[in-house]
Amino acid sequence: MKSFGIEFVPMDLYWRTAYYSIQAEKLGYDNVWITDHFNNRNVYVSLSVVANYTERIKLGPGVTNPYIVHPVITAQSVASLNEIAPGRIVCGIGAGDRTTLEQVGVGMKSPLRAVREAVGVIRRQIAREKGAYEGRMFQMSEGARFNFKVQNRIPIYVGAQGPKMLRLAGSIGDGALINASHPDDIREAVKHVKGGVERAGRQMADIEIAAYTSFSVAQKEKSARKPVVPVAAYIVAGSPPSILEKHGISLKVADQIRNDLANRRWGEAFGAVDSNMIEAFSICGTPDQCIGKIEALFKTGITQFVTGSPLGPKVRASIDLFGREVLPHFKESS
Amino acid sequence: MSYRWLIKKIPTSKYEMLAERFMDALLEAKEGGNVPSSLVKAILYYSAQDHLASETSLVTLLEALASVDPQLTVSILEEFGLEEVDLPQKPAE
Repeated sequence: MKSFGIEFVPMDLYWRTAYYSIQAEKLGYDNVWITDHFNNRNVYVSLSVVANYTERIKLGPGVTNPYIVHPVITAQSVASLNEIAPGRIVCGIGAGDRTTLEQVGVGMKSPLRAVREAVGVIRRQIAREKGAYEGRMFQMSEGARFNFKVQNRIPIYVGAQGPKMLRLAGSIGDGALINASHPDDIREAVKHVKGGVERAGRQMADIEIAAYTSFSVAQKEKSARKPVVPVAAYIVAGSPPSILEKHGISLKVADQIRNDLANRRWGEAFGAVDSNMIEAFSICGTPDQCIGKIEALFKTGITQFVTGSPLGPKVRASIDLFGREVLPHFKESS
Repeated sequence: MSYRWLIKKIPTSKYEMLAERFMDALLEAKEGGNVPSSLVKAILYYSAQDHLASETSLVTLLEALASVDPQLTVSILEEFGLEEVDLPQKPAE
């Protein structure tokens, strides 16, 4: 079964994110994912509003991280959201974005352990387990439990990009959110997720695999490409060297972009983005071009395609275009 | 001229198009954060209910846009055939 998600970065006013989410629900999207960065609007405030004005679509943070937000608070937040939108909440968690973490002096220490333990803590809290949790990064005593019951299951998706995190997603996640857009990267990522699934004695059918892409659609290719540039800059800045080298992107240029972004030199950072970076790190183009690219991604084994930021030159028009000219191609065929 | 009076002057056959035009303008408005929250909540409610192009919703959209960009509001109303539009005055603060 193919499903479709949409990602919002709450840089925009909360009511606009809510409006776009309503629009996405009506057009047949299955999931709304909202990013969690300290410098944008709060993810759970945004999700609460979306939950209030939607009826069917699933929603959750995509993704939060265990460094800035303690997993006990993540568990509390998604459990509370579940009371507004019962059975529709999902929780995406990953190691976070290195650039943003460094801005507030938080190091990305032991990311695999941090994510593994955070998932354990969130599950423990939601299930109101009685025993203590003794992790190396997180510890909880026997009495550290919710005073309320969570009525629905909340699937946890692990956001991943590198091989080890992808395997972890396969071994412990209800889903994997693959942070990539190029079919070669996603094919390889799915292979790693599968490795994790097998190592944990699970079946591929047990988990959903979502490609979390940087996406832009417009009637004209040129219009679709333009808004991708800033997003591509952030992806280049946050990508591990192995990914950059694979796409022939100079580590020196990537370092420069990372430095420019950290110092808010937007012109320099975005000016360094070339078409190779756009091809490597986004799905963009006309509706027909997007259909072709998305078909290639589904062939890699993913089960959910997420249209991530920037979505297009005009968000409302691009969501509408995707919903009317791209999504039916897949929904009708499945 | 009340907001409702202005909307009633526009043919109902144009309501759908007018709602889209207002919505696009609100989504692009630089001062979108200044739309009163009671109007924002009403707009989200009408969107969720698929009633964005109803007369009552259009009155809300018009009032919301007028609160942040009166000049654009007037020009949109003129596009839809209204002449010499005089927006209701905001109550003195």
